[in-house]
Amino acid sequence: MALDTLTDGPEAGTTERWVAIMGGTALGLAGLRRGSWALAALGGGLFLAGAAGVPLAEPVARRVREGGLPAMRRMDVAGLLPTMDRDPTTTQANVTIATEPEKLFRFWRNFGNLTKLFPHLDAVEVQSDTESCWKAHGPGGMRVVWHSRLDKVRENELITWHTLVDAELPHRGSVMFHPAPGGRGTEVRLTLVYRPPGGQGGRVVSRLFGSAPEQQAREALRRLKRIMEAGELPTIDGQPRGRRGMREIVE
Amino acid sequence: MRALCWNGVNDLRVERVPDPRILGPRDAIIKVNLSSVCGSDLHLIDGYVPTMKPGDIIGHEFMGEVVEKGPEVLRLNRGDRVITVSIIGCGKCWHCEHEEYSLCDNSNPQPAYEEAAYGHCTAGIFGYSHAFGGYAGSHAEYIRVPFADTNCFRVPDGVRDEQAVFVSDAVPTGYMAADMAGIKPGDVVAVWGCGGVGQMAMRSALLMGAEKVIGIDRYPDRLKAAQMKAGAEPLDYTRVDVYDALLAMTGGRGPDVCIDAVGMEADGFDTGVEYWYDRTKQALGLENDRSGVLRQMIQCCRKGGTLSIVGVYGGFIDKFPMGAAMNKGLTFRMGQQHGQRYVKRLFEHIEKGELDPSYLLTHKWSLDDGPRGYRMFKEKNDDCMRVVFAP
Ligand SMILES: NC(=O)c1ccc[n+]([C@@H]2O[C@H](COP(=O)([O-])OP(=O)(O)OC[C@H]3O[C@@H](n4cnc5c(N)ncnc54)[C@H](O)[C@@H]3O)[C@@H](O)[C@H]2O)c1
Ligand SMILES: [Zn+2]
Ligand SMILES: [Zn+2]
Repeated sequence: MALDTLTDGPEAGTTERWVAIMGGTALGLAGLRRGSWALAALGGGLFLAGAAGVPLAEPVARRVREGGLPAMRRMDVAGLLPTMDRDPTTTQANVTIATEPEKLFRFWRNFGNLTKLFPHLDAVEVQSDTESCWKAHGPGGMRVVWHSRLDKVRENELITWHTLVDAELPHRGSVMFHPAPGGRGTEVRLTLVYRPPGGQGGRVVSRLFGSAPEQQAREALRRLKRIMEAGELPTIDGQPRGRRGMREIVE
Repeated sequence: MRALCWNGVNDLRVERVPDPRILGPRDAIIKVNLSSVCGSDLHLIDGYVPTMKPGDIIGHEFMGEVVEKGPEVLRLNRGDRVITVSIIGCGKCWHCEHEEYSLCDNSNPQPAYEEAAYGHCTAGIFGYSHAFGGYAGSHAEYIRVPFADTNCFRVPDGVRDEQAVFVSDAVPTGYMAADMAGIKPGDVVAVWGCGGVGQMAMRSALLMGAEKVIGIDRYPDRLKAAQMKAGAEPLDYTRVDVYDALLAMTGGRGPDVCIDAVGMEADGFDTGVEYWYDRTKQALGLENDRSGVLRQMIQCCRKGGTLSIVGVYGGFIDKFPMGAAMNKGLTFRMGQQHGQRYVKRLFEHIEKGELDPSYLLTHKWSLDDGPRGYRMFKEKNDDCMRVVFAP
């Protein structure tokens, strides 16, 4: 698939959205996608809605189904506030990391490092100044391979890339680094725009990589932050637990 | 090793589990000498904090000895006698750098629950459900502590184990409650709840210059301790009307500072419709937290005064008197403790004899008596303030 069809596809608004993302406007996607849930419904109406069985938490429930959240008991889910409805093909995550843009830029610019951020990614082989080959695996070990080309590189500010024709899941990516106010470090924005055949964005990503794209982006930035700040990813894998817990793990 | 495991609501069992091992470069393994119960555990045992899983080891207020450490632990050595703060900081994020350790960005390995429920994730806590990280707790022979240089503190020689153990949780929590309130000379401070946390809040308020401290509870032994040990004037809320009494004790002004050291399982409003409203909704899962104490504090507090909340809430509360809070110009401060900020100061107070938390230890039992110990602590039998297990 040619690059043009990615930006000027049949879906209305794709281009504007792309501009908003790449331009890095403060509103970005969030502004464009705001508000499928009226806030007014929440306030005092929460109790009434709960009592009347209104499915308040549907977006949350959906995130649970799509793997964005670990399963919780119904009662817990029902208590949660819904978040915005997400566009299935465009995903964005933001995080502030307590370090300089230079350090983050250098880390990302070395695409080989990205395997530390995306668990399904096995290797990124750099083939030339602008091209690289990405090797990943999906659930059950299914191999997925594609090629990417760098679009824009602005030192310490921005890296954008897009997939080449062979990609089963064509997408564009951009990562932006911006100094945060008040010595808080660097604001990092990761945007991934998927354009899969058939227009079933999120679902294809989930099928290929086992989790929703939105969760992948958020997790990737979280890992970046934790590696940069804490020097490790906190874990509880391998800690002791009681018999019933152990059985659960074995089963 | 042996460990006390949560297996369901009101179902604790002592079990044999594997020993913990170092999982990250900044981890340490602590051999537990003393590990205390805490009011927060009751919220887990009673089922008010979701995301507990069968087999989870509970306990988060403890002290012991460093027996093993990862390659990047620099400030601790094997054999050090240490306390560990219950709430885990990474030591490197913006919040940790600003001494807001319980708001740490990085120490919770399972952030999705809190992000969905609260909008952001906060710090991991030992033995305190998977929403708060799922870390194995301290009611065990050994415990693994992540980011050990940030979270473990050597105990000075002049401080005994029975004093030190509470510097893990009850002391810094009470101290922070008083600290957040910004107590000024002449202030009258009322503390709801005379458990370990409330006791420490009362003592701390006096250390910070409060003119008078009032301790509110229903258990005679706890009220007595509040009076004799913490230096407070006791108020039994089953015998007097709290509002009338507090106004009478403050010349009609109301306390300048009201501290909540009770949290989501507040008792004592069982005569009113309000209590049953909360209780019923809690049972139906429509409201998680009973908020009687909060409402009462708003009612009683002096105009322009401060509410400092360290009693734990987990979810939603109803019938929150926002009108009273707003029009009375009240300030709300709250949060899980940032113990790491206070440990050094607290040890100094203890060494100088200005603070002695050891009276909170009313029972020292074997870990094998864990389930019985929690039953006693929950039912507040036998004048139990805190059972401490010595594995
Ligand atoms: N913020 C933190 O970091 C932190 C740390 C530790 C504990 N906590 C919380 O602090 C609270 C107290 O902990 P604790 O270990 O002292 O618990 P505890 O169970 O020993 O004591 C609670 C006391 O509150 C009293 N109480 C109940 N209803 C009351 C009412 N209506 N008015 C006045 N008193 C009332 C009880 O009689 C009891 O004595 C708990 O909610 C706990 O979760 C918070
Ligand atoms: Zn506690
Ligand atoms: Zn931190």
